[in-house]
Order: sequence, then structure tokens, then C-alpha cells
Amino acid sequence: MNFDQGEERDGVRFSWNVWPTSRVEATRKLLVPLGCMYTPLHQNPEIVQVPYPPLHCKGGCSAILNPFCTIAPPYRTWVCPFCLQHNQFPPQYAGISEQSRPAELLPNVTTIEYALPTKESALPVYLFVVDTCLADDELASLMDSLTMSLSLIPENSYVGLVTFGSMVQVYELGFTACPKSYVFRGNAPQALKAATLIEKLGAPETMNLQAKRFLVPVGECEFSLTSIFEEIQKDPMRVSGDKRPPRSTGMAFSVATSLLQAIAPNTGARIMAFIGGAATHGLGMVVGEELKEPIRSHHDISRGKSKYTNQAYKFYKSIGEQAISSGHAIDIFSCSLDQVGLYEMREMVKLTGGFMVLADGFSHPMFQQSFQKIFSRDPDHHFKMGYNADIQVCTSRYLKVCGGIGHMSPIPVQSQPSTYVSENEIGLGGTSHWKIGGLDQNSTFAFYFEITNQHTNPIPQDQPGLIQFITSYQNNLGKRIMRVTTVKREWSDPQASIPLLANGFDQETSAVLMARLAVFKAETDELPDITKWLDKMLIRLVSKYSEHRKDDPSSFNLAPNFSIYPHFMFHLRRSPFLQAFNNSPDESSFYRFMLNRENVSNSLVMIQPTLEKYSFDGPPTPVVLSATSISFDTILLLDTFFCVLIFHGEKIAKWRKAGYDKEPNYANFKDLLLAPKMDASHILKDRFPYPRYIECDQHSGEARFLLATIDPNITHNNNVPQDPSKGEVVFTEDVNLHEFLNHLKKYAVQS
Amino acid sequence: MFLIDWFWGVLSFLGLYNKNATLLFLGLDNAGKTTLLGVLKDGRLSAYRPTFHPTSEELSMGNIKFRTFDLGGHESARKIWKDYYASVDAIVYLVDSSNSDRFEESKRELDALLSSDELSNVPFLILGNKVDIPGTPSEEKFRAALGLQQTTGKGKVPLNGVRPIEVFMCSVVKKFGYAEGFRWISQYIN
Repeated sequence: MNFDQGEERDGVRFSWNVWPTSRVEATRKLLVPLGCMYTPLHQNPEIVQVPYPPLHCKGGCSAILNPFCTIAPPYRTWVCPFCLQHNQFPPQYAGISEQSRPAELLPNVTTIEYALPTKESALPVYLFVVDTCLADDELASLMDSLTMSLSLIPENSYVGLVTFGSMVQVYELGFTACPKSYVFRGNAPQALKAATLIEKLGAPETMNLQAKRFLVPVGECEFSLTSIFEEIQKDPMRVSGDKRPPRSTGMAFSVATSLLQAIAPNTGARIMAFIGGAATHGLGMVVGEELKEPIRSHHDISRGKSKYTNQAYKFYKSIGEQAISSGHAIDIFSCSLDQVGLYEMREMVKLTGGFMVLADGFSHPMFQQSFQKIFSRDPDHHFKMGYNADIQVCTSRYLKVCGGIGHMSPIPVQSQPSTYVSENEIGLGGTSHWKIGGLDQNSTFAFYFEITNQHTNPIPQDQPGLIQFITSYQNNLGKRIMRVTTVKREWSDPQASIPLLANGFDQETSAVLMARLAVFKAETDELPDITKWLDKMLIRLVSKYSEHRKDDPSSFNLAPNFSIYPHFMFHLRRSPFLQAFNNSPDESSFYRFMLNRENVSNSLVMIQPTLEKYSFDGPPTPVVLSATSISFDTILLLDTFFCVLIFHGEKIAKWRKAGYDKEPNYANFKDLLLAPKMDASHILKDRFPYPRYIECDQHSGEARFLLATIDPNITHNNNVPQDPSKGEVVFTEDVNLHEFLNHLKKYAVQS
Repeated sequence: MFLIDWFWGVLSFLGLYNKNATLLFLGLDNAGKTTLLGVLKDGRLSAYRPTFHPTSEELSMGNIKFRTFDLGGHESARKIWKDYYASVDAIVYLVDSSNSDRFEESKRELDALLSSDELSNVPFLILGNKVDIPGTPSEEKFRAALGLQQTTGKGKVPLNGVRPIEVFMCSVVKKFGYAEGFRWISQYIN
């Protein structure tokens, strides 16, 4: 089965593409949950856009007219396939015939965008929240980036500025005679409500976009804002050598969120926070000012010994809830060599659909390039974005939504229990409707479903399994769009179901759905327990779907569409998503955040990085992610999503150092050096956030990025003399893939 | 695991029950800090990518609790080493003894640490790691390259106010040499 095709057209992929017909069957046979990965802003030039609003079913099921609706001559009514309600076509749909149909009824138009008739709203608003407790060079770099961004933001987009250190300052950009700001205490005992903020800023009649007081179109404030950036000073509070600077990060978020809520509620807006160090002052602090007191570690957190974590987490979460209630997104650019408190802040960003960027500093390309990418105007590498969005999932009979995992916020079900919502919650459940502050073409949501049909109840032939995704968002130009994707999958024949079901198994999507669940569990469970759970699920799956004789591991055989699933699980277990050692809580939060937002192919790169080999023997070829793929006379390109690394084998490095690539006789060597760089630059151009880019040689310190990632199938304990063209020794006692698979086979063939 | 048993024995012999100590793992990038910490924590050797954010672990050996800070060693990461001086009881400084090209750089960083006021009384355990790699210089040559000919002695030496500092050659990968170092430095933890 070709699963990519559906993804190409609709931006959706399922773990299982043929569905069992009853709950009992599903429990027994779907040993990876039934779910899908959906990318609402998936880009495809063939997606139809129509200038009119959609036609809703009157049956209260909230579904929208789609190609799977039944229509028949004389084409005056349509039957909703979700609730079987008969609906009248309105007058503008007169003239439908066998030959002539509106776009949304064409069989291949399973994804369509409608323009919604709302009054023109403003372009997205950008509110910068700037940390001023930075070293001079860092502050200068940040100001350069911010100044540059002003030239990339469309001139009628509104911008605003909040800065923070020991206090929080809100700039009145509309006052142009001189820089003017309102100052708020950084260590106030309570969060600042929008109403209180309006009171303090005076003139409530000016708290709207039209007044152009705190949020002003770039075209009108570029000059004054640029001069503010030029003159911005490091926080004036003197800090002694044994202390951290007082950063009121929490209060800054509270002020910024309330400011946007007061001035621009329910219009697309993002708070972009630039943070260079730990929150130490007032609400949301994650560590005290004394350096003697270390910031919490994974160990402290799991032992419940982290003094500030719970309180700070709750505080930032409440800020996130406040922001999403007005439809706003919160971004964090954490640019520091040490932790800033992302671990405590993560929920705020996740609930609002914001960006999270983790970089070493404001002068590092990982920050600069990522930040620029958000405003890029390059049409080929332009980021398609949506704001103030919501997504609704409708399911046909016999099917319910268990929940979703991704950067969204559940909207509680109103009044009567929704027909779509399962009691069996997975992820953010209890609803079929979520709000999203910000999304882009990569934002992908995992949805999990349940089959509710009784074993004794046969499903009629004419009732296919259908799922409809309805996403409404404000686009880059301020227009409100509704994208509707309706997808159909077959029910399996309960008699012959095992092979049929098995053929519909998409191992890539399944691995990603399991990875998201694992990372979701990591919010509450201990990591070793999650690994055990993954192992148990894997053993049950392969035991059911492999061919084998009982108690004979050598007879074990998996069909091709299952065969690499265990490899994904092997690498997932070893990945930073589930290994805390050598990662700070902030780093773990960032890695998990990214796995929680990307589509299937990007998530797979994170789980099992890709390795490409460049040699004189032929064109570049993908090679397995193992120690045997390393050779002294080849170049490797490793992509872990977070890091792109070019690795020169020992001999290549030697020739390069000798300068052979500069000699005309060795032009092919020059080409060989160039090829991986070109490919790397393509990856860098499209990747967000901008990854760490490294060029290194075999046996160098940076080669550890590769050695820590690959399957260690050659180690110092093998005691075999090493052929340098056939691999590299890894100093490790970790289990390798081969041993892992052997254990898996052993357990799988046991009854 | 032998190291834990060993610690249990030695430290209980020394009467260091119920003590807490903070160790800072420093050294250039690729010296083996994280690998050593991994071996101490899990007893198992593993391959790690370079460290970015400082990470902290707690190692319980016998009745002593060691809180360790593992800091990145690449040049830019060294800027924040000083943030961790405040509460440290001892410094474990690792050097890749197989890479003589970087002895000078390593010496420069070590000298800066040794002359820092905040660390003036803090014991230093210098570990010359990776002696398993062929061609690694002898301990004498290693000491000379790092300017460590004069150290306070490997036994239990009463120092009368002099800062303890000693060199131990080791191989984290082959799991030898560092245990003696930790045994030595634990004598000087108050």
C-alpha cells in the first residue's frame, strides 16, 4: 500500500489504513493505537481554494459537505455520511448535475480551503519581549537581529516592545517625541490581569489597535523603534560575582500576555520572548539569585527536590491558558549556554502553538537563522503560517476520538456529551475540538481513535469509515480561511482480517504515533517505565504479525511493512527523548517539544537520523546508521534534525589537510568535498529551527555526534582487528541493534 | 559493581558517613568528563555526544552523596565554568593524555582555575585519561607538559593549609586508574 500518496494530497497518514469492524477486534489486533498524523497547513499546489463559505450539515454533527456525501438526481438534497441527516442544498447550489459539481463534491477534492466571510482583520501582531540582563556583546547581537526583522515584517503589521530585567518595561511606541515606557515591578506578588494593566496604563479608550499606542504598525514606528534598539541598556541592577542577574521573566510574560489581551484579543498575534538566562526574580522564578544554589537537574525533579519547579510550572501554564483564550501564541528563543527555565515554561509554549528555539547565544546562527526564517520573504522558503486557529475532528459512526497530542489546547465539550468523543482518553482528550494560537506548514497533530462498534453488529457496506478535519485560521494576510480534509478508510472483513489489517499497517506513522505517546507519558512517568512499556508493546505487535514457529527464534520473519518498525523502536529508546543523561531538563524539554510538532518524515529523522555516504565509487547513497558505515576513505552526512554533521574519514581528512583539493589534477576530490556541503546547505535552508552545523574529521572530538548516534555494532570489546575501510570502533557497552533484535525474536516466539 | 563496593569500604573506614560533597568535572572538550560520569553513575560505558548545558547528577557511594556537575568543555562553554565555583568541594580536571597537541590549551585553562581566588582552597584531582591509546606519553612527560611536576603526594599527606593537588593516569574506557584518584581526593573532603 502506498501511504505517501494520501499524505501528499491531504497531509494525513494513519497507523492502520484498514480498520477492524468492532471494539473487540481492535483491542485484540491493533497493538499500535489507531491514530493519524495530520498537518493542517500541509502545502500542495493542487489544494483547491474557493471564495465562498462551506456548507454545514444541519444535523448538529458540525460536519461539512464533502465528496463522500450521497447525492442523487434531482440533486436537491445531500446526505451527511457522519450523521445520516438529509440536508437541502441552498439556492446557490442549484444546477448540480452528473457532469457539473461544485469543487467540494469532486471525488479527488478531499482537501479544500474556503474563504470565510469575516470582516478583514489585521495582519499578525508581533510583541517582542526582550531580556536586558545580557552580556554587552549578546545584547548587541540581539538588537541587530531585532532591527533586521523590522525590515522583513510587512509595514502594516503591528509591533510592540516589552523589556525585562529586575523590572518590566512596556514601551509606548506611539509616543515619538522620545522613548517612553511604563515600568512594572518584577517581583510583584501576583500576575498582572488585563484589567489591572489597562488601569495602570491609563486612557482605556486607547487600548485598541486603532489608537496605535503600544502596538504600532512597523511602517509608522520603524525609526523610533530602531533608535530604542540602539540605545537599549543592560539592566541597571548591579550584580556581584556570586549572584545571577535578577530576571523577572515570569512577570514579563504576564505583562505581555495581558497587554495583547487588552489591545488585540482574538486577532492573530505572537509574543516573541528572547531569553538569555535563568528566571530568578518574582513569579515564575526557577532558581534563586545566589550562584551557590544550583538550578534543578533531572535528578532533583524526579526526586521532588526541586524547590521552585511546581509553582513556576503552574504559573507559566496559567499564562499559556490566558494567551490561548485570546488566540495568541507565545514563542521562546532560549539563547544561553545554561538553562533558562524551558522545563517550567514548556506548557505555555505548547498550549499556544508557539515556537521554541534553543541556541547557545544570540550571536549563534541557530538563533539568528531561525529568527530570520520566521519572517523570510523568499517565496521558495517562505514559511506558511496560521494564527488564532482551531481544529475540529468529526468521525463517522462506529468511531470516536480519544484525544490528540500536539501543540494545541483542548476546548471543553459544551453541554451534551459529544457523539465524537470517547471516554477512553489518549493525550489531550475529552473533546474533539482544540484551539491553536499559531501554526505553520510543519505543525502536525497526532489524533488517536477508538472503534466503538459491537462485535455482533455488522457494518453496512454503504457506511465507510470517515474522518473530517476542520481547521479555521487567520492567514499571513489577515484573512480567515477554513481548511476541510475528509478522508476515508476501508473496514476490514472480519473473517479474513489479519492479512488485510497487516497490509494496511504503516510502520513509519506507527513509530511516530508511539513516540508521541512515549513523550506524552514522559510528562508524568519515569523514563525506565516508558522504555519497558515500549518494549512490551513491540513484543506483542511483532508476536502477532510475524510468521514464526513457537519457541523457535530462527523461524521468526516479519513482512516488509513491519520489518523496520523494531529498528525505529531501538533508536527511539536510545534517543534524547527518552534518555535524560547528558541532557539538562531544558534540553529534554526542547527535544520533546520538537518531536511533538513535526510531521512523520521529520519525526523519523529525529528518531532514527539519516546517514548519507559520499565516495569516489559512485553517487551519494543512504547507508545504515551503524558503526560499519564509517570508512576512512568516505565522507558521511548525518542529519539528526537538530544537528547536521559532515564527517570526513581519516584518509579524506589527510588529503584535505595536504591541500589536494586545490590541485587541478584532483578536481574529483574537490567535487567529493563539495557534494555533502551542497546537500547540507539544502537541509539547512528548509529546516526550522536552524540546526547545529558541524564539519569534522574521524577521531576528532566532534565525531562524537556521530558515534553517539549510530548503532554501536563494532566496539572495543569485539576484539577483532579493525579494517579501517569497514567501520569504526565505538567505546561503549550499550546493546547494539543485532542483540536487541535477537532478544525481541526470543520473546516474540514465546507464547 | 567494584567501584561502589570499594568506596563503601574505604569511605566507611575513613568514617565519612552521611557526608555531602559537590564535585565539578572540568577539562577541555573530548577529555572524557561525561563518559567518566556515566561509568560512575551506571557502571556502564557508553558513547555520548558533546555536552552543551551543564548537567548535574547525584552519585551515592556508601553513605556519601556526591553531587556532580558536568560542564561542557568546548571553548565557548568554558565561559560559564565560573558560575559553578561557588559551592564546590573539589574539582576533577580531566585531560586527554593521548592528545599532546592540546596540552598547552589544557594547561592554560588549568592554570586559570588554579589561580582563581574562589577556588584557592579547593582540592584538585587531575586525571590523565585515555592512557590505553598507544603512544600516550609517560606520566613524567605528561606532568611536565602540564606544569604539574610538584604535587602534594598520592598518599595521605597532612598538608597544613596547602591546597591538595595530584595527578592520576587513568583509562575510563578500560575502567582503571580513576578509582585511586577518587580515593585520594575523598581524604580531603571535609
